[in-house]
Amino acid sequence: MPDINSGNKGQKIIMRVENLSKTYMQGKIPVHALRCACITVRRGELLAIMGPSGSGKSTLLALIGTLEKATDGKVILDGIDLTSVPEKLLPGVRREKIGFIFQHYNLIPTLSALENVELAMRFSRIPKKERKERAKTLLEDLGLGDRLNHKPTELSGGEQQRVSIARALANKPALILADEPTGEVDSKTRDSIVKVFKELSRKGQTILVVTHDPEVAKECSRVLRITDGMIKDN
Amino acid sequence: MLDLIIRNITNRKIRSALTICGIALGIFAVIVMGAMSENFHQTFERSMSVTSDKIRVFSESGVFGGGLTDDKVSDVLRVAGVKDAYGLLMTTFDEDKMGMTGKQILGVPPEKSSVALYPVELKSGRFLNPGDSYSVVVGNNIKREYNLQVGSKFEIHDKYFTVVGILDYTGSIFDNAVIIPLETAQDLYNVGNSVSYIFAVPDERVDAEMLSKRIELSVKGTSTLSPGELEVQAEQSFMIFSVITISSGLLAAIIGGLCVMNTMLMSVTERTREFGILKAIGAETRDILLLTLGEASFMGFLGGILGIIVGIGAVQIMNAWLATTRIVLFLITPRLLIIAMFFALLIGALSGLYPAYRASKMSPMEALKHA
Repeated sequence: MPDINSGNKGQKIIMRVENLSKTYMQGKIPVHALRCACITVRRGELLAIMGPSGSGKSTLLALIGTLEKATDGKVILDGIDLTSVPEKLLPGVRREKIGFIFQHYNLIPTLSALENVELAMRFSRIPKKERKERAKTLLEDLGLGDRLNHKPTELSGGEQQRVSIARALANKPALILADEPTGEVDSKTRDSIVKVFKELSRKGQTILVVTHDPEVAKECSRVLRITDGMIKDN
Repeated sequence: MLDLIIRNITNRKIRSALTICGIALGIFAVIVMGAMSENFHQTFERSMSVTSDKIRVFSESGVFGGGLTDDKVSDVLRVAGVKDAYGLLMTTFDEDKMGMTGKQILGVPPEKSSVALYPVELKSGRFLNPGDSYSVVVGNNIKREYNLQVGSKFEIHDKYFTVVGILDYTGSIFDNAVIIPLETAQDLYNVGNSVSYIFAVPDERVDAEMLSKRIELSVKGTSTLSPGELEVQAEQSFMIFSVITISSGLLAAIIGGLCVMNTMLMSVTERTREFGILKAIGAETRDILLLTLGEASFMGFLGGILGIIVGIGAVQIMNAWLATTRIVLFLITPRLLIIAMFFALLIGALSGLYPAYRASKMSPMEALKHA
């Protein structure tokens, strides 16, 4: 099985993906979306996952993010085997260990930027005052100090994506999973988002970015390529 | 979580308003129908409390069957355990209105008028005295309607009576009673010495139920209604009345509930992606349940408040209008308000249960793929 060596040598291993597979049934025909993926990721890595549409990139992210159940294999994140965590406890894992960034930002349209970031901490039962302060600091750090009370529709694509980055960071996760985070923005905004990722990575935040964009991949510390559900090269 | 619930409701203003109106309409119906039932219940309870110590003796063929005369009174009095007995003639006051106003003429032996009406007390004047013939004691509603005072003249069946007493307000049938001497009533309505029924008062320490049976066996051609039997009979009629009135209200409220369910199902479908996001960022199943169920319940709560306010308003307007004809048809009680509010919340919550279940059971990945 292809085992992809980790980057950031010297840093602690934060995640180990072992023989991870996902097979869907399309009627009676099995579809292998991901086959025996093995990845080792060190803390603070900014890892790009590239591949054509339908290659299994998003499936890999969904499996690591516990949004879907693997058919086989293991995902060990921060010492926890995510594949053996009971369904009931998965929301807790998602809250505390993983932050999601989506291509379409996926902000709640009725909530302001501040409330969207705060929402993630709400489910962790963080006291209101504390979560408000943290949400404000995160947004200010991402240059959105003057956009706190704006609704998503009042923000540009880049601003919305930065709100979504702040939301992903809210619960101080071990890993951020970003699915095509620059897919909907112009090159200037893309560069600013990549800059944010690099800065976060420098501070020790581990980020997995699924992207089609070679310009984004170029800026990452490591690039994995997936074709037909298999991780091909490093 | 309440802020999110309120925000979701206010975000879809027109739809939420229509849903709330749907529930409000149902609760309005519960209030109006319930108020009618409560009024009936209160009148019944108070009427029972003022006549609960007496056994009613009827003709075997029933109260409208006739055949019961003054002579039977002495037969009833002879039964061991009967302390007192007297006949009463009861007829409707306003025959032209088919008795719909509830006003009744009560022919009572003058010397028994105070005991027959016990524990009802006089507001002013006196009860009937032996020797009275064209004297009348009136209930409180009659006094108000005809603006009567002690000494006023009052026309009954083309004859003028002098008001000698006015009863205190009781909330019972006696508020609409016109009490005249039995013999005068018998003459006035040309019924000879017939009476509608005989009141038999049991001796102290005599079981009224047993005595009731004894009277029935001892006095030929009679049947009795003990206080216990009367209560059961009246409870049954009350139950039937309540079931009819309340169920029509409940039907309207259930339609309101379906309205909430429809809205919530639409809302849950529209927000599928939103639930996916919430799950991805760590919302528990109970958070999603609380959010959707809370939304439905809160709409139920708002609908309940609105329905109660409009219901009280409508009942007051109708009562004020009916007051001109001296009919009191509706009574709002704290119990009714609590039931209506509870029902509104229940309908909201029950209607939200299925949509909430659907939302909470969504796979986060599937929900996120939803357009």
